[in-house]
Amino acid sequence: MTEEHDHFIDDLAAYALGSLSESERARVEAHVTSCSTCARRLKEYQALAGVLPVGLDLVEPPPDTWVSIRAGARRRRQPHGPAKRIFLPNWRWATWPLVTGLVAALLVWNVLLQREVSLRPPGPEVEALARRPGRLVILAGTGTPGASARILVAVDGHHGHLAIAGLRPVSSERVYELWFIRSGAAPVTGGTFRVDASGRAWVAITVPVSLDDARAITITEEASSGSAAPTGQYLLEARAWR
Amino acid sequence: MQAGDEAALEMLYKRYAGLVFTLALRIVGDPELAREVLQDAFLRCWDGRETYDPGRGRVPWWLMGIARNRAIDLLRSRSHQARLREQQPLSSAAPASGSLDAADAAALRRAVASALESLSPAQRQAIELAYYGGLTQAEIAQQLDEPLGTVKSRTREAMERLRVSLWSLIEPRGEE
Repeated sequence: MTEEHDHFIDDLAAYALGSLSESERARVEAHVTSCSTCARRLKEYQALAGVLPVGLDLVEPPPDTWVSIRAGARRRRQPHGPAKRIFLPNWRWATWPLVTGLVAALLVWNVLLQREVSLRPPGPEVEALARRPGRLVILAGTGTPGASARILVAVDGHHGHLAIAGLRPVSSERVYELWFIRSGAAPVTGGTFRVDASGRAWVAITVPVSLDDARAITITEEASSGSAAPTGQYLLEARAWR
Repeated sequence: MQAGDEAALEMLYKRYAGLVFTLALRIVGDPELAREVLQDAFLRCWDGRETYDPGRGRVPWWLMGIARNRAIDLLRSRSHQARLREQQPLSSAAPASGSLDAADAAALRRAVASALESLSPAQRQAIELAYYGGLTQAEIAQQLDEPLGTVKSRTREAMERLRVSLWSLIEPRGEE
């Protein structure tokens, strides 16, 4: 084997164990598309990684877990049914109108946000934001389909506003909490908030870490006092931003 | 299961839920979170059944990969790393309470335990920190205060030893 292959074999083992950085992973993925030897070895290592837990002392899961999984599977069955396939031939034709519609919706959303900014009582953050929004983070409703949010971070990088729609109102004992997730460090909160009866909120937030240091930004539901770390499901999530 | 058969999902659950839960618990260290990982892994498996490629390996190892990734995501979103490292090292004494269905399940368990035992402590630690700790090779090197190249070579050597010992037992057979 060549030196280059030796180098990649080191990385293949780490890749299979999920122990490479994003850039290293991308390099391995690019390499295995053109190297059948490494591609085969990677499959072997991945299978080995899958079998490692067999060496642990077995712990049985709570007995009612299967009932929850079955209920979840039934809820998800519908989209895989034949009814969906009837529409498949039209998707190709629908692609461009769909993209155009999405772009238009995003534009309308951003215009509305800007308008909402302009209607706020003037304050240093809002003024700065309205004049020159620094960065935009778009959160998708990964745990709450239909929910969406935008974080407009001011040019100072520390202040911002969160606009959110599509979350259900919570009781007085609960709040939503914004989190900045970093690699190898504890998550940091950006503040708590509640939504109005229509599921919307517009709140000033603190951006406690540099966006460049954050791996993900997420929103969870927590107790009204807030939490030291996210305990609820990720309701909305962003993993990339400009 | 690719045809959307709920009974097949149930069979997969009966065979592997214990193993997935054990893996998740080992990583996140919290039964409630481990249960969340278990549910999520099986539902993701169900969602991905139509696109599952048998060439990627047997279903159980695919399922285990999904569960491990989800558990690491949870782990990295919480400050559990310190507690995790205080937990016991990879066990080499796996009791035979039924989770694997195949006739060779007990043999596989013994083989995995024996293969892990044959690794040097440093090699086991490398696997432990990478797979269960969710650390990158660079993070492991930093934590152990060792050169990155040493950590990568050690990880590779460990996986090679495991491959030599175990591959004949786990190679894809396409029966799922």
